[in-house]
Amino acid sequence: MARLIRTEKEVEGRFEEVWLVVEEDALEQWPAGPLSVVGRPATRKSGPARVRGEARYTADLRFPGMLQAALLRSPHAHARVKRIDLAPALALPGVRAALGPGEAPGLVEEAGFVGAPVAAVAADFPGQAQRALDALEVEWEILDAVLDPEEAVARGQLVGEPRRNERGDVDRALAEADVVVEATYRTQAVLHNSLETHQAICQWVGDTLEVHISTQYVWGVRAEVAAQLGLPADRVRVVCEYMGGGFGSKNGPDEYTFAAAELARRTGRPVRCALTRREENVHAGNRNATIQKLTVGARSDGTIVALAGEFTNSVGWSGWSSYTEGPMQMLYACENLRTVTYGAKVNTPPMKAFRAPGFVEGTFGLECLLDELAARLDVDPLELRRRNYAHANDGTPFSSKNLEECYRLAEKHWERRHEVRARSDAVWKHGVGMASQIWFGGGGPPSYAWARVGSDGRVAIVTAMQDIGTGTRTAMAQIAAEELGLPLDRVDVVLGDTARGPYASISAGSSTTPSMGPAVRAAAADAKRRILEIAAQRYHLEERVLELRDGLVLSRDGNLSVPVEEVVGLLEAAQILGKGARGPNPTGMSVLTFGVQVAEVAVDVETGEVRVLRVAAIHDVGRIVNPLGAASQVEGGIIQGVGHTLSEQRLLDPETGAVLTTSLDAYRMPTMADVPEIVSEFVDRPDEHLTSLGSKGLGEPPIIPVAAAIANAIRDATGADVHELPISREEMLRALEAATRRERRGAAAAV
Amino acid sequence: MELLRPSSVEQLDGGLFLHGGTEVVPLLRDGILRAERLVDVRGVVPRGIGDGVVGAGTTLAELEVDPQVPDALREACRLAASPQLRAMGSLGGNLLQATRCWYWRLAYPCRLHGGERCHAREGEHREHAIFANDFCASAHPSDVAAALVALGARLRTSRRELAVEELYRLPDEADRRTTTLEEGELLLEVELPPVEASVYLKAMDRARWSFPQVGVAAARHADGTTRLALAGVAPIPWLLDGPDALESATPLERTEWKVPVARALVRRALAAL
Repeated sequence: MARLIRTEKEVEGRFEEVWLVVEEDALEQWPAGPLSVVGRPATRKSGPARVRGEARYTADLRFPGMLQAALLRSPHAHARVKRIDLAPALALPGVRAALGPGEAPGLVEEAGFVGAPVAAVAADFPGQAQRALDALEVEWEILDAVLDPEEAVARGQLVGEPRRNERGDVDRALAEADVVVEATYRTQAVLHNSLETHQAICQWVGDTLEVHISTQYVWGVRAEVAAQLGLPADRVRVVCEYMGGGFGSKNGPDEYTFAAAELARRTGRPVRCALTRREENVHAGNRNATIQKLTVGARSDGTIVALAGEFTNSVGWSGWSSYTEGPMQMLYACENLRTVTYGAKVNTPPMKAFRAPGFVEGTFGLECLLDELAARLDVDPLELRRRNYAHANDGTPFSSKNLEECYRLAEKHWERRHEVRARSDAVWKHGVGMASQIWFGGGGPPSYAWARVGSDGRVAIVTAMQDIGTGTRTAMAQIAAEELGLPLDRVDVVLGDTARGPYASISAGSSTTPSMGPAVRAAAADAKRRILEIAAQRYHLEERVLELRDGLVLSRDGNLSVPVEEVVGLLEAAQILGKGARGPNPTGMSVLTFGVQVAEVAVDVETGEVRVLRVAAIHDVGRIVNPLGAASQVEGGIIQGVGHTLSEQRLLDPETGAVLTTSLDAYRMPTMADVPEIVSEFVDRPDEHLTSLGSKGLGEPPIIPVAAAIANAIRDATGADVHELPISREEMLRALEAATRRERRGAAAAV
Repeated sequence: MELLRPSSVEQLDGGLFLHGGTEVVPLLRDGILRAERLVDVRGVVPRGIGDGVVGAGTTLAELEVDPQVPDALREACRLAASPQLRAMGSLGGNLLQATRCWYWRLAYPCRLHGGERCHAREGEHREHAIFANDFCASAHPSDVAAALVALGARLRTSRRELAVEELYRLPDEADRRTTTLEEGELLLEVELPPVEASVYLKAMDRARWSFPQVGVAAARHADGTTRLALAGVAPIPWLLDGPDALESATPLERTEWKVPVARALVRRALAAL
């Protein structure tokens, strides 16, 4: 029975109270370990279509009569449009429509950053649209701009109220601690740089608005477009069959969609609005910069007695203040804790969720601080982490936590440090470092799926979710194939269209597999029950003696063995339809993911070059559905993390606040040659409290500990404390010089 | 816009020259270069590697694998750009590429664009010059140019012959150009004198596809002299008058780090000869 509940829902570390309809999750969990299909490596179902160029991304779509839109963006960090004249643009050849501030959601009169969209044009060709932008006459009123997040905090210019958390008595604990370590960490703004830029094509079909968009959440786009344009939700159809990367930046529709929709309404033609690469690097979101002033107090045996942090998120002109303090609050057992987090509202492009927002940044600070403490206490960093193991989340039990097992699996990688260090010579210093990971990733209801079984014995899982490139199609097919006792190649997944399937979850917050997997399994189980009911009647057997395995309907005594299509074939052109829903999350429990990574680096102490040679990643995310897909997620997360750690940085002109790194040669993501050896291991244990699947998400966890593990390996190799990302040659040489100075002072003091 | 494809030097008649297109096309797209007439010079510029002479139309990909090519040039090609870009980019085009200074690339009205100030000097300049950076702090991005300067290469154009370092000039108030190439003048061939040994070392901010933070080319010549040339340290390829000349660098606040990097690479390059 469906139950209506009021509950707290988490996405990307943000919590909100919502009404939810949840349905029973009556299925027993499968036994742990690899099954027939689930738990076995499967290559991507969409792989051949992708490499053959048959997969249709939004960027590939062209409709007859389609116009190209372009957006006029503010050249000022803070300014108001006093007057705009669209007429000169409209007079140009090929220009069909133009919108000024307020004429579509997201086109603003007050621009809060360089790149804020204020107007839009639609023309026959992109070049015409660009020339039309140049022809727009705008009179700006320049307003006061603040670029420095600390200045914004000092002025009280904040996004939301400061977030304060306190437990125990931090001041007393610090006063009584044997050792206190304080440090300030800074992380930079980085860009998602999705391969497919943000884009949408809008066209009106009758009174329905059809939106083709590169998105992580077709239903979210539907709801927001409907709300912003004042349409009934059912008059908006959102389609995203394939998409080229989002990483949290494509959770909603944004101004390019709204402008395309309005321009399509005015012109009666399909309108495409696609960000250029340069625009993508300005206004497609970012992982915001942070400043973290951290303190840890410990007893000489390594027991942490106090943790304190003052966090500043440089949010940008809008967005939200991410949960940078989360790792400090949740990763270790510590009775005395105090954090305050400021979301600085500055005149820079707004942040968006970026693969574990807040936790990537916060883990860099916390896990570097832990190793600085370990060095001060002369305690082994792995031992220090074990000694402060959290057995509950501030009093709330974990639904499952196997971090201890992660640590055990990490030992063999951690042991390598003696051998790795021994490779050092006068120039290249080698070292090993580690960092732990904590994050959400439990998913939740509501999510629905249908299983359509045809007379050919093939199954289509139909659900209006999206595969954002993580291999969702494959994982969902595996779950259905397992439940239905079919080989994987008999199951297809039909997704990406709000008009052709039931509601499905956002693909963000590491939630796709834990949210959708149980719904898919339930739908498959419902179809299976119907198939067995039919078989029981056809062969005059009791349902309970029948099962589906290897594409056969079998009786337990072995007397009946017929291909499933013989049973379903009785229906001829008709089909069996199973329906499934995601059940509730366990009440009164914290559903979290865990892990540890061990990085090996080499540092050229003369030129500041850092090479990451090996990263071993051990994560605990419940049951692993597809080990191959899971390893792929880990590899992607670590590669993205290496870029974040070493080379990526969005640079702003300090005078104007304009983004300077707007191309892929200026904004430096790692190349294949930068990719270390990556070893991924999993504690493949189902979470017995979490759904019939026992799986958590893995999209975000692998990027979380990368920066701290690398920085800690650098300390192990060189003795230098890195406090700032990215660890460019400049930062590395600065840290090495500081370490040398400290050593000299130490030597002088010893004399 | 028209595209011409002449087949001889005689047929050249103005326009914007285009070879591999890896530099010119993006600059056209960004509106930094403007042209009504594009001239595809692939039918005019010699391509190929002969006895001490390399056609300016030879691609970097061809140079990096040819054993006749001196080590410094081969390595400079190998460490440049990406395989796709090296397969298209020509030797001549590489010598004529513009700075990667973001202000210049984003068309800020900087001195190189004829403006009144260098935005990088007061702004974001962590990748900029440590020499000759007073007027314009841009850094020259060509690995290949530094290698050719160290190798003592000479150039033949459609109008004259010159030493490779004579191709470059520091921009000043009166003339903002960084090359001495005249309107309509086309690079044709590069002459490489034999050297006893040569090397190119490059500091990058990732393992591949990075312009030089600091590139150091060194060559030991038959007369016993050693020539050192640096990429990424000045608005033009920088002939370094011996390792001690690094002590006279004038780094900006955020380019100081380049000095020790250059020092280490110069030391290593000399040791490798």
